[in-house]
Amino acid sequence: MLNTILYLVLVGIAEGMFLWLVAAGLSLTFGVLRVLNFAHGSLFMLGAYVAFSLVKISGGNFWIALAIAPLVLAIVGMGMEVFFFRRIYDLDMSFQLLLTFSFVLMLEDIVKFVWGPLYQTSPIPPALTGTASILGVSFPHYYFFILVVGSAVGLGLWLFIERTKWGKVVQATASDREMSSAVGVKVPQLYTGVFMLGAWLAGLGGILSVPIRSLSPGLGEYVIIEAFVVTVIGGLGSLKGAFIGALLIGIFHTFGVMYLPVFELAIAYITMAIVLIIRPWGIFGVREA
Amino acid sequence: MKNSRIKSSQWRWPLGVGLFILIILLVPLVGGLFWQYLIANVLLLSLFALSFNVLFGMAGYLSFGQGAFYAVGAYVTGLLMLAKLPLLVSILLGFVAAGVLALILGFFCVRHTQVYFALLTLAFGMMVHAIVWKWSSVTGGDDGLIGIPRGSLGVPGVISVQLEPFTNYYYFLVIVTLFAIYFLYRIHISPFGLVLRGIRENSGRVDFAGVAARKYILIAFIIAGLFAGLAGALMAPLEKTVGPAVAHWTKSGEPVFAALIGGPFVFSGPILGALIYIGLKEFIVRLTQYWLLIFGIVLLTIVLSFRGGILGFIQEQIQKKRSMY
Amino acid sequence: MKREKKKGMNRREFLKAGAGALALGTAVAGGLSFPAIARAKLKDPIKIACQGVHSGPLGNNGEFMRQGALLAVEEINAKGGILGSKIEFLFRDDENKVDIAIKNARYFVTTWGADFLIGIDSSGVALAVGQVMPELNKILIVTHGSTNKYNEDIVYKNKIKQCFRSSIPLYLDGIGGAFVAKDFPFKRWAGIVCDYEYGHTSWKLFKHTLKSMRPEVEFVSESLAKLGTVDFSSHIAKVLTANPEAIYAVNWGGDLVALIKQSSVYKLYEKIGVWLGTMGGAMDVLTGLGREYPKGLWGTTRYWFLYPDTPRNKAFVGDYHKRWNIYPSHNSECAYAAIYMIKHAVEKAKSLELDSLIAAMEGMPLDRPAGPCYIRKEDHQAVYSPPWGQVIHDPKYPMPILTNLKVFPVDKLYRHPPFPPIE
Repeated sequence: MLNTILYLVLVGIAEGMFLWLVAAGLSLTFGVLRVLNFAHGSLFMLGAYVAFSLVKISGGNFWIALAIAPLVLAIVGMGMEVFFFRRIYDLDMSFQLLLTFSFVLMLEDIVKFVWGPLYQTSPIPPALTGTASILGVSFPHYYFFILVVGSAVGLGLWLFIERTKWGKVVQATASDREMSSAVGVKVPQLYTGVFMLGAWLAGLGGILSVPIRSLSPGLGEYVIIEAFVVTVIGGLGSLKGAFIGALLIGIFHTFGVMYLPVFELAIAYITMAIVLIIRPWGIFGVREA
Repeated sequence: MKNSRIKSSQWRWPLGVGLFILIILLVPLVGGLFWQYLIANVLLLSLFALSFNVLFGMAGYLSFGQGAFYAVGAYVTGLLMLAKLPLLVSILLGFVAAGVLALILGFFCVRHTQVYFALLTLAFGMMVHAIVWKWSSVTGGDDGLIGIPRGSLGVPGVISVQLEPFTNYYYFLVIVTLFAIYFLYRIHISPFGLVLRGIRENSGRVDFAGVAARKYILIAFIIAGLFAGLAGALMAPLEKTVGPAVAHWTKSGEPVFAALIGGPFVFSGPILGALIYIGLKEFIVRLTQYWLLIFGIVLLTIVLSFRGGILGFIQEQIQKKRSMY
Repeated sequence: MKREKKKGMNRREFLKAGAGALALGTAVAGGLSFPAIARAKLKDPIKIACQGVHSGPLGNNGEFMRQGALLAVEEINAKGGILGSKIEFLFRDDENKVDIAIKNARYFVTTWGADFLIGIDSSGVALAVGQVMPELNKILIVTHGSTNKYNEDIVYKNKIKQCFRSSIPLYLDGIGGAFVAKDFPFKRWAGIVCDYEYGHTSWKLFKHTLKSMRPEVEFVSESLAKLGTVDFSSHIAKVLTANPEAIYAVNWGGDLVALIKQSSVYKLYEKIGVWLGTMGGAMDVLTGLGREYPKGLWGTTRYWFLYPDTPRNKAFVGDYHKRWNIYPSHNSECAYAAIYMIKHAVEKAKSLELDSLIAAMEGMPLDRPAGPCYIRKEDHQAVYSPPWGQVIHDPKYPMPILTNLKVFPVDKLYRHPPFPPIE
């Protein structure tokens, strides 16, 4: 019984880590730029496809793809921000949402056009095909790898935001853009940088999902809804919230599937609604003035 | 000179409306069944989009969950028709059920603004979708309700019109929708509508104004839900089938598109938008399979340059010309 | 193929001669008063419209469908068409949505002038469009949607005579799967089932059939996964905790690809004795998984391109591969067969009148790549028997293939009227 619980928790955390990788970029973008990027899931999808192609071109080398694909996404992110997103910061939230949504539509067809409608997947890197035992429960290496990467990303982001000068600048700009600009921060460039980081994170999430999932042009839509749920529950704009929210959702989902399957479909949305109703700024978010 | 210009603008709109209605009523005579079907869908989407726009164009609240109310209207009416209840009763109950749901959900939603509002409506919409999907003993699950009859209208013992023939139902749908649109128009030009638009323009002051504003938004939310429900209720006997897809957020996106394309700040914008959305889609799919890309580009263009939609753009041009004199 | 050509030639020559004689006779008799007899050729062109999922994650289904149908149309037109009339073919995306599919159906019939409709991937959409067919009053041949409600309820119970289907329903998944399962020594079965009508019914049918043959079997766990699940970890975990000996999986397309990949990662296949995947033999799953498809897993599909080993099938596969540079999936063959169903029915009825066509189709034998087949009169369902098989990697093909094929006699594989409810 204890083994079962432990196993379920591990599975839940593994699921949750993926959610975190998607939600991290979304939360960051919202926290700083105040834009809820509907297209974030599509960036994840694009990252996965780019990685898939890189793996093929490099003759099966997962690690090269892991290094390069997120960078490609960062560049795409730069293009999106500079040419499009930049123009909408002063608009109604609604129009911002709609602009990001237009990218969801376009990216789906672009991906279909370039890579075709058939499912794609890549092999698990040979170094990670085994399993390891934790307290008598055997768990795949690859998922341990995901746990490590996810946690590293979390730690890295936390260090960056809290402990570096640039992180402090980002925080300051997030809470007061005008002041930041007044003291000389090049806000537009900062915004681009943050957006690029968000895209990089989406790309990373994408490539990590390729060996264990199937790629299809509709992937962006599936992923973004999950990311919304996580960021809302954790707190829009809060990276810590997104991390913990993601793990919680993963664990809830796993236990839900096991013991309360009839609610599986609605659990995420019910939780999201409850959080929005009771505590809209999320578990770790900051109440806005 | 000025006098004649005022006079000409006075008859321009009623003439337009009259022509519009005339065309719709004449379609079955000149066009085939498919045209009637398309126009019926345009009218339903117009109604759906107009109801959405009460929240969006007028009050400035973007809802991604109107599909929930459309679905409730459709399922309630569908179930009642399958139980052989009279058509008008079934549609009325579908309409009311959607309104009740809007009252309940609205109570929670209107306390929030902007992003949170949008996300909460999205969450509620998807919850309805999940419930409809899972509750298959009632809703038929993913197969949905099948074989919904169209019923009949009439005075018992005096006259009865069967609505099973498509054209008969078409006329029924047209009449009900036109009345509903007129009703929404009256709301639009009423003092209530004025207050809503005031709220949109001064969105920063909503919290300042406090409870009163929230009450208005709640009423707007209920109206939006009611008429989304009516659109769904009318759809059920038209298609004779209702499935969970009507509650999905992609369905909720249709009125958003329509309102934006036509112009959310003019009353008839969503109607034009519905016409363009359906027409454009019909046209594009004959040319390419990549219609999502086209729609994405259209949406992008609108958000960047044409936020008032087509009618907004036209209005701007007219005002520019007028200001030149 | 050669045999087919001869038949066609003969028929065409015969008809030409017949038409010529009739025309002559009519001219002699002052034929303008009998125009129907003078015109031995039917309406030209004969219009066939097709719709399937052509966008979104399931989009490859529609593409395979379109390719199969188009191949048939081109073959038939090259040989003179149907009774001398060419076929005009139109394909549209139904986006897996009921409202779009119905709209397309209406457009096809009332505006485009379709004489026949074929296609449809989703069970729900098939049911919805089926309901509209009496209004449109043309024949619909479903080529994929597998719900048993289509033939059992819509055609048999509700007597909507316009509906037909060229693809085998979920009997193959549920009943066929049970026949495969019964030969294994395993008693503890678990199910990973997609959470909708098709999944539920297949799983119920499997349990019911297996239990009737092997009463000692236990179903120790089941996990329902929503359509579009990308991460099956929880479901795999749930099923594993019940320690099953064997697993029955009802999922399709991208979901199945993800499920199999993740099951591999979780070493599920080392813990169980056998895995039955109902759509595991579908071309999109085989190409999607490629070398990642663990060998030894069982799967089936509504048409397996290497079965049967007949000249007819070989010719079809060869022509298809030459035309489209890929091997045909079940969607391709069932659409191809549907076009030929139409051709044979029109030739037999010598008319486009609905009731004659229906009468011609009922009981009609169909020579199709998938093997011997006939259209059952009671429920307008094509009766044929595709195989279940085991996955292996054969260097001759760019994707894994099925081997160790098991084929079941159709009277055991299919349910029969009066179709008792499935518990």
